Amino acid sequence: MAKTMQEKLDAKAERSYEKTHKKKWRLTPGNITFNILNYLFFTVFTISCLFPFYYLFINTISDNAMVKTGQIALIPHGLHLRNYIAMFSLSDLGNAFVVSIARTILGTALMVAASALVGYLVTKQEMWHRKFWYRFLIITMYFNAGTIPWFLNMSMLGLTNHFMAYIIPGIVAPYNIILVKTYIESIPNELEESALIDGAGFLTVFRKIIWPLSKPILATIAIFGAVGHWNSFTDSLILMQNAPQFYTLQHRLYVYLNTSSNIGQILSTGGSVGTLTSSVMDTKIIKYTISMVTVIPILLVYPFMQRYFEKGIMLGAVKG
Amino acid sequence: MADITCAGMPATLKVEGVMREGKPVYIVQRIATLLAAALIFFPAASPSRICNMINKNLSLFTSGISYGSLTGEMGRAFSRGWLNEGVIILLFAASLVMLLGIAASSAGGCMSLGNLKFKRLGNIFSLAGGGVQILGLVLIYVSYVLIQGAGNVDRVGPRFPAGLIVYLILTVIMMLTAVIIRIMLPKAAPDSQYEMESRYKLFLIFLPFAALCFVFSYLPLWGWRYAFFDYSAGGILSMDNFVGFKWFTSLFQSEATKADVVRVLKNTLAMSGLGIATSWCAMAFAIFLNEIKNLRFRRFVQTFTTIPNFISWVLVYAIAFALFSTDGFVNTIASQIGLLAEGAAGPNYLMSEAHIWLKMLAWGIWKGIGWSAIIYIAGISGIDQQLYEAATVDGAGRFARMWHVTLPGLIPTYCVMLLMSIANILSNGMDQYYVFQNKMNTNTIEVLDLYVYHLGIQNGNIPLSTVIGMVKSVVSVVLLFAANRISKSVRGESIV
Repeated sequence: MAKTMQEKLDAKAERSYEKTHKKKWRLTPGNITFNILNYLFFTVFTISCLFPFYYLFINTISDNAMVKTGQIALIPHGLHLRNYIAMFSLSDLGNAFVVSIARTILGTALMVAASALVGYLVTKQEMWHRKFWYRFLIITMYFNAGTIPWFLNMSMLGLTNHFMAYIIPGIVAPYNIILVKTYIESIPNELEESALIDGAGFLTVFRKIIWPLSKPILATIAIFGAVGHWNSFTDSLILMQNAPQFYTLQHRLYVYLNTSSNIGQILSTGGSVGTLTSSVMDTKIIKYTISMVTVIPILLVYPFMQRYFEKGIMLGAVKG
Repeated sequence: MADITCAGMPATLKVEGVMREGKPVYIVQRIATLLAAALIFFPAASPSRICNMINKNLSLFTSGISYGSLTGEMGRAFSRGWLNEGVIILLFAASLVMLLGIAASSAGGCMSLGNLKFKRLGNIFSLAGGGVQILGLVLIYVSYVLIQGAGNVDRVGPRFPAGLIVYLILTVIMMLTAVIIRIMLPKAAPDSQYEMESRYKLFLIFLPFAALCFVFSYLPLWGWRYAFFDYSAGGILSMDNFVGFKWFTSLFQSEATKADVVRVLKNTLAMSGLGIATSWCAMAFAIFLNEIKNLRFRRFVQTFTTIPNFISWVLVYAIAFALFSTDGFVNTIASQIGLLAEGAAGPNYLMSEAHIWLKMLAWGIWKGIGWSAIIYIAGISGIDQQLYEAATVDGAGRFARMWHVTLPGLIPTYCVMLLMSIANILSNGMDQYYVFQNKMNTNTIEVLDLYVYHLGIQNGNIPLSTVIGMVKSVVSVVLLFAANRISKSVRGESIV
């Protein structure tokens, strides 16, 4: 299935290439130079996008003494996974990991369910003052009270230093509602009508017909929502000032990156790996390892999700 | 449709008459219920703040669901015996009772949109809710009376909450209207069902989401009032510290503020401007990528150049740290090939202030270009191939086709993107600049969003930072509509 999809995409790309190059250009010196430069540029740029991750990775799995003295640049030496194991003794890192996972799953699930339901409701012509309510939602994309009023509002609602501050405000996402609405409008509505005539309620129609049919768009917004939740940093920074237990992984990583004292000492007092870490691991290696822990989930899901990402941006271009 | 006429066959006409006459009563009841439900989120209207020891930022909602917040500042008062904890437990219970009552009344209000049978049920809810609210108000009053007998009255500082009067009035209105409706409503036919017109049914399903949207997107606008007061965190708004437009004029009159704002605006406009000036790069990226013949290579490039878009700015900073800090990749290589003396520490490129605008631009491009290019790549595949054929017939070579066919085909998309980025010229977000800032570069990296954060959250100057946020929001909306107007008149299509 995935392969045929890939082939389809390739075929599409091929057609677009054929279109733009109906007649083959001659191999003039100009063309050859251009081709070489073009390939060179894209190779270099792609490497610049990949190399940093590779560099971080080899520095976390190579011999710590060599990393410390800056001998690992391109090729790993003395492979081991002790750095990753040592991370388990950083309890606040594990805590931040759990917070990030929890907010990603819970926040995304609620956002997708709400976007699907609201997206369906705003397609129903007979809803009381439908146009007004739709605009009421959509217009919020274009204005913004500002950081401070937002913060004061959250603290007025008792959401500062509270985990729910990550979840509740994100439930109603106007942009995703537009995407779902546009998609549902493109579904032929005979199915829905016949179900309504048979006496099904709106919620039944939504659950049995609309939800299954709009799964592709829901997958797309789910992935964008999940990436957003995983990467969010500012809300943790501003809202969780007195609740370090609710720091997200990104926030915790930022704190570690800016710790100039030797984190190795924190580690050495933290657990049984102390004897191992205090002597060998230094701050730099710990920073690299935490960065890898934060980025690995994204790198792992990315290849499977790329299709949805591209679909997402194209949908965004034809909103209505 | 299923409306009230189904309720009772013989009494149909009579019922309709009652409905029409009863409408104003219903409207009064619904408005009162809505107000009561909305005010539970406003600390100023909280009936539960019966003494000065209760945080003035607590709304009735928070008081009723979080005992911890309610007693946040009372630890000492309890332990020293200034205050009997039982009073506060009573207050907490009373607040919870109030919330339950308001919830019941709201449910009753929703049901009143249905047919006669629904209306009767809703009326029972309204009556019960009103009764429960009166109980809650009485309990709050009792705890107010009790708190005056506190061990240390001066410290505890009992005060009569104005919200109690507000809620008393609302509750009385709700009760009165409910009683009137009770008298007016005829009996429903015994065989009738609960029914509601689908337009109201749909609306009621939608209502909770509208409420969420209101609370998190519209309610913050209410915070703009801080711009007109001399407010500091934890203080209180009253006419005593109302200062009118003082903070607005201080933007122009106070030398220190003016200098700061000018510096920050310069950074903001410079970095947004550089971003806009290089926004064609994504289009060029797409056009050149389209010239690559090897499909596998193309897919590969496209896949991996979009990855940076999906990592956070904190991770970008982590990468910058790994590459450019004192013992990062660049310095490692430099010392390996002998550019750096043995044992000498290389420069930390992240700590220097030099070329910070360009560095930020470079990171922005690195992160975003692959992703921005996707929309242009799709645009290229949408160009009519006859144009290419015609161009070839006319003798256009490869570069001429790129320049005269592909590029013009992408220009409309580019214009939309350009207009959007011009509308967002003041909002470059704070993530990127926050993570890259340090004491060396703070002068040149501080953009408007970051400045507002520093001023408001870190230094606690809430009024001035609110003013700046307000001006920014208004300017952004105006720019957006201007961009939309331009797009409409030039291309005949709106962008928002």
